[in-house]
Order: sequence, then structure tokens, then C-alpha cells
Amino acid sequence: MRHCIREKLVAGACIVSMGIGLATLISNARADETCSSPYLARIEGQEEFVYVWTLGVEGLGDGSDKLVVVDVKPGSPHYGEVIHSVSVSGRNEAHHGGFTDDRRQLWLSGLESSKILIFDVHTDPAHPKHIKTIDNFEKASGGAIGPHGVYALPGRVLIPCLSNAKDKTGRTAIVEYSNEGKYIATHWLPTKAEPRGVEGAEFADGYGYDARVLPRKNVLLTTSFTGWKNYMRDFSSLAGDAEAMKQMGSTMVIWNFHTRTPKKVFQVPGVPLEVRWAWDPEHNYAFTATALGSKLWLCYEDKKGNWQAESVAQIGDPAGVLPADISLSADDKTLFVDCFGDGKCRVFDVSDPHHPRQTYEKKVGRQLNMVSQSWDGKRLYFTSSLLEHWDKSGADNEQFLRAYAWNGKSLEPKFDLDFTALKLGRPHHMLFGSTNIGN
Amino acid sequence: MKPYLTAIAFVVGVATSIFGAEASRSAEYDYDAPEPGTYTLPIIKPAADGNVLDSTGTPLLLRDLTHGRVTVMSFIYTRCASAVACPYATGVLRQLHESSAEDPALAKGLRLVSMSFDPSTDTPRRMAEYAALADRQPSAAPWKFITTRSQADLQPILEAFGQTVDKRKNPSNPLGPLNHVLRVYLIDRDGNIRNIYSSGTLDPRLVLADVRTLLLEAGVSKQITRK
Repeated sequence: MRHCIREKLVAGACIVSMGIGLATLISNARADETCSSPYLARIEGQEEFVYVWTLGVEGLGDGSDKLVVVDVKPGSPHYGEVIHSVSVSGRNEAHHGGFTDDRRQLWLSGLESSKILIFDVHTDPAHPKHIKTIDNFEKASGGAIGPHGVYALPGRVLIPCLSNAKDKTGRTAIVEYSNEGKYIATHWLPTKAEPRGVEGAEFADGYGYDARVLPRKNVLLTTSFTGWKNYMRDFSSLAGDAEAMKQMGSTMVIWNFHTRTPKKVFQVPGVPLEVRWAWDPEHNYAFTATALGSKLWLCYEDKKGNWQAESVAQIGDPAGVLPADISLSADDKTLFVDCFGDGKCRVFDVSDPHHPRQTYEKKVGRQLNMVSQSWDGKRLYFTSSLLEHWDKSGADNEQFLRAYAWNGKSLEPKFDLDFTALKLGRPHHMLFGSTNIGN
Repeated sequence: MKPYLTAIAFVVGVATSIFGAEASRSAEYDYDAPEPGTYTLPIIKPAADGNVLDSTGTPLLLRDLTHGRVTVMSFIYTRCASAVACPYATGVLRQLHESSAEDPALAKGLRLVSMSFDPSTDTPRRMAEYAALADRQPSAAPWKFITTRSQADLQPILEAFGQTVDKRKNPSNPLGPLNHVLRVYLIDRDGNIRNIYSSGTLDPRLVLADVRTLLLEAGVSKQITRK
């Protein structure tokens, strides 16, 4: 009887909570990283591990790609140390990855091989185990290659790609797989030749990069990079090839998420990359940064309910600092922008999303790519590698994971791991792990 | 009525009032639902079979509840007190149930299933008390409340569906003793899973549009109102 009464009381609490709303409840979670799928089971408390998808370097260690586990558990005797790594025997152009929605699996993709390597991170989160490889992605998807991110949806993942097997340009698709690793569907990006009824078809280049959902508005936003034959090419050679440089992404596409139907193409010159939706339940907008344009862009719903895109800020020198990754704080007020060109993290006050204002910058390294931020905004982790053939050379080819504390005004170093000295490789995407996963 | 049933009825009732299946957009689901039949739902995987018990304790094969009609199936446990999990899912199924009472084509083509993943507590007798709530609408689509005889019968079903369930480290957690991802499955007449809903996508209007899309696809009814 006692627990029946408890249930009745809790039910009353449920009703109050329902009034608050699902989105609010999700956004009120006080842990995990800020730039992950809203469908993902959340870490309870502080992150304990940082998983680093690391590209192998010939002649360094075993030369293979690795999933590297760094201990970041407060008070751990191994805090700031690599506690485990799993070599996957071969190089795949390790790049991005993501968890399944139940957070039991970590899927890591290879841009060169189009392989997807699946790890069990549930049984022993400190020691992930490689359990499966999807090695027929091109055939299963009908010709999409270069699987990029892995974005958790209920019971399945969304995999935005970068290229296609036919001509290896940036014409590509979004591919869906079940959590069991079975192919479900392929959604090709709209082009001028195959516009699929999309508004702004005159801009449609069919390119892809990131794909992220704002569930409350039932919209999916995709961005665009370049194809296999460009991202697998030496960057200095590529930069000198005017024709090749024309084959760079210059669009974002907003989709009806539920029906997977593209609705509108925005012209966004200069390669728009990561998409970061705001978390506040009344903030209907997302940021992206253009790597070659060095600009912050805002995609937002206007007062008439129409989606728009506009350039809202310059990032660094107009000559270009190659913004790569961006990370939005959980309160939607602060945007961290990593710039590969000069190795600086630039911090913008985005309280007014239409008028971002740079407030701080810090040189993190000689080259800088990814950034992952804790939900409380106090910890940021940075890695260095962009792509094997685009990373800098010589002394500028630093390969690191560096952790910083953010006090609201400045970044203060916490620990530094030299991935070359550790014979690990080129560190790229970071994802948070823990033994405490909620729902 | 038992206190917990009073509670769940209250919760479901409130969910009903907030998230009507035919309602317009809300703060949580701020968009227009798609027109049924204007989009496709690819097959995700076959729905698993297994041995289950209905609310009278009669043994059944799960496949008998996932074929022949479009099925919306929710995994729940009755001790769950998370507002965004089982009570919410049951509220959505309740909405679909009520909509079907007013739509003969839906009543004829739809089936609802709430299956417990907590067989030690959710006995057939307890599920029967839930089933009584559904029995108040005899003209609506059937709504089955089922459980399993044992964890051994349950586990293969959960694994095949991909429904993860863990015991919480603190069994006295006010949200309930089990930690789980919310999962509701849309299953076509041939037993294939065609959509999976969770927090953020379990919009009654979307589920209803999907159900009607599958009914239109199967050609089982030309009377379905395009809403």
C-alpha cells in the first residue's frame, strides 16, 4: 500500500511535469555534452571518459585507427590519462561518430573506407569492445560513400555522408540504419536536376556534411562540405586547383524531419559545417560556421513561421581562419568557435543570435579542430586533426587532446595529451562516456 | 479502484487533455502533422515473436498481436513514474484508442498493445486492471495489456525489439526502480516495424498520421479521413 500511495503522489508530480513540457525536461538535464542528439540517453552527473576517434599514422605505433579512452572522472588517480585504446587494424580516415539512442553502442565512421565500426560502450564503458563492422555501406546505401556523423534517433541512426561512389564529388545522401546495424533507407540531397519540389532549388548542390534535428519543430537541418576526391587530396594541391575548389559545399537544407522531405535550400557560400541547434524551448534557431567563408550563419524561423538563413558575424581575419567545429553552451549564450588556420578558439556572446559578438580568444595549438563542451559549460576538450591530407606539416602538425576549464571569462588548461608522443595518431571527434547513464 | 489505478487514470486523463491525437500543434510539438499517405515509412525490422500472457493469464504468441492489423505497441512497467516515459506513452495510446472509437475504419484496422517489461510486478491480474480502462470503449480498436510468465520469456523479446531496461542503482528512485529508454513501435499488418517513437517524437498526431498512412498503403480502408 505504501508504494501505491507513493505512486499516486509521484503521478501528481508527473502531471505538473507534463505541463512543463518534454523539451524543457530534456533541456534541464544537467550533464553530458551540449552538442549531441536530443534523442540520446543522457549522462547523469559529470562525464567520466572522453572517447577519441583517432586516425592512424603510418609508422606511428601500429599505424591503425584507434578508439582512445581518456579518463576524466573527477578524483580518479588516472585523471587526464589514456586508460585504454582499441586498434581497428587499418586506416579508414577516422573522423566522426555517435552513440545509439540508448547509448549502448558507439558507431565510428571512416571517410575513406566507408566502413562503420561499432563498439559496445555499455558492458564496460572504460573498455569499449569492437563488436561489429559495417563494410558494405556503399552497396547497401545505393552508392553513398564517406559516412560522416552518426546521429541518434529512436531505435536507429542517421548517417549524413560526404560523397558518392559514382563520381566522388560532394553529391551525397543521408542514410539510416537500425541500432542493430541493418540498412533502412537512403535520402539523397536535392539537386538542381532532382529538386524534389524544394524551394530554392536553383541553389541545390546536393552536398552534405552534418544533419541535426529540432524535434519541437519537426525540422532537420543539413550542411555541405565536399566530396571524396577533394577531402582525400593534399590540401595545398587542392587549394591551387581552381576547378576542384569550385566543388565545395555552399548550401544548407531544411527538411520536414518526419517525412524526410527537403523543404528549402539556402545559399550559404564557403562550406557550412557543424549544426548547433539552440536548446531553449523558445529558441527556434541553429548556428553553423563556414570553413572557407569564415562566417557565422544563423538558420532561424521568422515571425511568419518561415525558415531563413543569414550571415550574422565574421570569424577572425576576413582573409580566413578556417573555422572548423563550434560548440553552443546549454544556455544558448556562448558559442565556442575552433579555428584550424590559426589554432585559436574564439568565444562569441550569442545572447542575441542575430548579432553575435566576440568576447575572447585563446590560442590552443598550432592547429585546432574539434571542441566538446560539458553541459555545465565548465569543461572544454579540444583536439587537433582535421583530415589526414589537410593537417599541417612539420612542427605545425601538433596532435593533441587538450582539456581546459572555462570560468566564464577565460580558458585555463587542465591537462594536455600529446597523441604523437603517445604513438596514437591524429585525434579527431570526441564523445563523452560514463558508467551513469539515465534515460 | 486501486490507488495506483486512480493515479494512472488521472495521469492518462491529463495526458489526454494535453496531447489530443486530433489536436492542433502544441509547445512540445509545434508543427503541422503530415498528411497521411503523402510519405513512406521504410521497414526497420521484423517485430519479434515470443511467449506472452494476456490480462486473463492466457498464453499467447506475440505474433498474434502484431499481425493482421496496424499495431502500436508500447513497452511499459506500471511502477514507472517518469513523466516522459510510461505514463506518457500510455496516455498517447489512450488518445489513439479514443480516436478509434470515433473512426470505424481506425477501429477496424488498428490494434494497441501495452506490454510490461516488469513481469514480477506486472502480473496478468495487474494488467487486467489496466485493461479495464480500455474496456470502457467497446467500439474502439482493441487494446491489449500483456505481460510474460518470466524474465526468461521476456528477455529475448526485449532484445529483438531493442528495448533496453536496467535496474537503477537506487531502487528507491522516485522515477521508479527501472531505467529504460521510452520506446513505442509502429508495426504494419505483416508484422514489420515501420517506425519507433520516443520522447520528442511520440506526438499523437504523428502516430495517427503514420497509422493512417499504413492503412492507406495496405488499402484496408478507403473511408479513412485525411486529417
